[in-house]
Amino acid sequence: MIIEHAGYLPGVDADSVDRQAKLYGREGAKISVLLPVLHERQVAQLVGHVRDQARLKLKSRPIGQIIDAIDLTISRLLDREDPYRRRMDHLLPIITGYDREMVRLGLTSYLKTFRKPQLLRFLSEDFMNPTILDGFQPLPKGGLGCAFGPKILTHVWAGNVPGLPLWSLVAGLLVKAGNIGKIPTAEPMFASWFSQLFAEVAPELADCLAIVWWQGGNEGIETAVLNESDLVLGYGQNESLEAIKRRLPVTKRFLAFGHKVSFAMVSAEALNASKASTTAQLVAYDVARYDQQGCYAPHIVFVEHGGSVSPEKFAQYLAYELAVFEEKFPLRPLSLAEASGIVSWRNKEEMIPGGKVFCADSGSWAVSHQTEENFLPSCLNRTIRVVGIDALTKVPAILAPFSDLLQTAGIAAPPEKLVTLASSLGEVGVTRVAAIGDMTSPEAGWHHDGRFNLLDLVKITEIDGRAEVAADQFASYDD
Amino acid sequence: MDINSITVDLLSFIKADRTNNVEFNRIALQQFAYQFAHNKPFAKFSRARGKTPRSVTSWKDIPAVPISAFKTLELSCCRPEEAEALFMTSGTTSNNQRGKIYHQSLCVYDASMRSNFSKRFMCGVERMDMGILFPTPEKMPNSSLAYYLNLAKMNFGLSDSSHLIGRYGIDLDSLIASLTRAERTGQPYALLGASFSLVHALDSMEKLGFSVNLPTGSRILDTGGFKGQSRELTPDEFYDSLSSTFNVPRNQCINMYGMTELSTQFYDNGNANSPSVKSGPCWIKTRVVNPLTGADMPKGEAGVLVHTDLAHINVVNSILTEDIGIESDDGFFLLGRAAGTVAKGCSMAVDEFLTATGFAGT
Repeated sequence: MIIEHAGYLPGVDADSVDRQAKLYGREGAKISVLLPVLHERQVAQLVGHVRDQARLKLKSRPIGQIIDAIDLTISRLLDREDPYRRRMDHLLPIITGYDREMVRLGLTSYLKTFRKPQLLRFLSEDFMNPTILDGFQPLPKGGLGCAFGPKILTHVWAGNVPGLPLWSLVAGLLVKAGNIGKIPTAEPMFASWFSQLFAEVAPELADCLAIVWWQGGNEGIETAVLNESDLVLGYGQNESLEAIKRRLPVTKRFLAFGHKVSFAMVSAEALNASKASTTAQLVAYDVARYDQQGCYAPHIVFVEHGGSVSPEKFAQYLAYELAVFEEKFPLRPLSLAEASGIVSWRNKEEMIPGGKVFCADSGSWAVSHQTEENFLPSCLNRTIRVVGIDALTKVPAILAPFSDLLQTAGIAAPPEKLVTLASSLGEVGVTRVAAIGDMTSPEAGWHHDGRFNLLDLVKITEIDGRAEVAADQFASYDD
Repeated sequence: MDINSITVDLLSFIKADRTNNVEFNRIALQQFAYQFAHNKPFAKFSRARGKTPRSVTSWKDIPAVPISAFKTLELSCCRPEEAEALFMTSGTTSNNQRGKIYHQSLCVYDASMRSNFSKRFMCGVERMDMGILFPTPEKMPNSSLAYYLNLAKMNFGLSDSSHLIGRYGIDLDSLIASLTRAERTGQPYALLGASFSLVHALDSMEKLGFSVNLPTGSRILDTGGFKGQSRELTPDEFYDSLSSTFNVPRNQCINMYGMTELSTQFYDNGNANSPSVKSGPCWIKTRVVNPLTGADMPKGEAGVLVHTDLAHINVVNSILTEDIGIESDDGFFLLGRAAGTVAKGCSMAVDEFLTATGFAGT
């Protein structure tokens, strides 16, 4: 059986680390992952080491060099023959259950958004002058400013969508923070491999990040890490985020990224015979990709009446396209709990007056068509709700009560409608509008949940404009 | 077929208490036709799955109604006001809506319970002194468990048998008095109740430092699990403490598995080893299926349980549970619940959405 070591623990004697084995996969394709089990003393040692090394090696390094190191690591991962990439392609499908081709294609398109030009865009999205991360730069208001990242930035990741930790880890490196990443048990390897490879590619930066794991609920370790952090990024369910918040000293900053709900909208103009089937195919793609486990995947599609294809017909188109995707990229094996959840959801949808459910005999996808205009999430794993609506302009009002939970809206509509809708959607809390088909692949530099990915991480130290003038009087050249 | 002849048919099947697959199939299909004709939401549900009395020829093909459907649909063949009893499921944390199960008459429920209870719990003893660790049906009129336990007490309990739950929880004085009396007289005693009530009893007795040597022949029946209402114990911890506190060997600690959505219960033959094998009488059959396709799982593989209970005349005879089990030679192992999933990624699961938006309970 294949055995992989999860984590990346610079400054800690590898032999002294206890390991807990966890099995992933099914009969015939299993992998054993050895998760690091750290003791509080080791955590202190690790965090101290990362903090010191980041201060020594990262702070003084020009941002351009850090970008080069990340770019080089990513280029290795984009090379299908690279040993790390081969392990990812081979093992991530076993760990997560996602279809092999889906993982392979998904990784490539995702990694492409972390190349040098994209990283530069990422930076310039937040900093008018990215060298502000290297040293004091003139500020528009006068004076000078320099951006400092946290000494220790802790990431508490969640979920099994391969690659997700990369967003925040790269953000952490770009702001020159010492990074401690806590990997989720659902998918512990991507961040581990990335960090191991990063250390190989850029040995001079190898000790500026660490990848750790602890069993959820292990308060001792969690508190030890949180106490040492200057800023914590948390992902996952509100309940677990609340728990982190409770444990974090009030002087530390915490940025929580809770679970979100996304949806799609199809306007009447996109519902003529030829465009409707393309749109249905693109919605199906957004639904099938990682089985809707990402927060940007649609739960529901609002379909406008008045096109030549009715909302119910559109639901059937969508059902057909999901059936096609099932052939191409089969649904990952579900747990009995997930399967039961689908049965219960399908059944509830069917019972709503006017409701109709189209589903696969195998149960691997389901489309529910509803006439009642409301907003209720689907139960994921390729289940989607199609709601017929008189006018898409009515949607924002339906969404308003759920403002805190909204993320991406995928829209198929003509340009003027796109902008009008986007404006009223923004008002009710939607933070990203995408083309249908691109919902699950945000572009480089996107504002995750409407926030600034890098700017939110730094503190600006500014030199008051008058301080410069005042300093002049003490200069040797002062008359 | 009218309800009277279906009832008569079934009562004689229960009375005979002999496995007869042909007869089981005949009665199941007859009931399916009756339920299809008199239960509109069920007929709609069946039609949507392409199943009608015309097309279904085996009891295995009768569409199994997911238990969640009881929360939204009135699945009753008689009009609700004609029902002798209404049992309701307990609400869960994420959804407080309660499923409603109407019984036009309780005579079949009673016959099913009595026959099976006598065989599996009483094991030949006619009556015993009983203590019921659960409220009375008067206190909980819509609880099928309160009804069941009271039925046990009325039909199989000696005159001193009593309910031991008062207004403020367990009536500890009466419990200790009953146990001490049994110890003194040497008359076997039966303690029956919800699993969590038994844990509360264990905890209170431990606090008092009280334990009792119940006479040989005494037994305990627990049911329903802990449901977050008491400490959560592993089966071994639970049965070990029962056994040591009451001096009732683990093979005399019987677990009953029942559901409000059914009219027949399952029992094990004691819990000398856990998990134990559960089985029911000849008028209920259980399949272990893939919930999405309804197809039988290969023997030995975990799946979700589907029960076809011929005693559940007024509602539907086949239900799809959210319980996970594995088929065994003489019944099935019950492994736990398959409900309450969370998303694996960063998207939001329905339950979480309902909690976050305060919509739980709608």
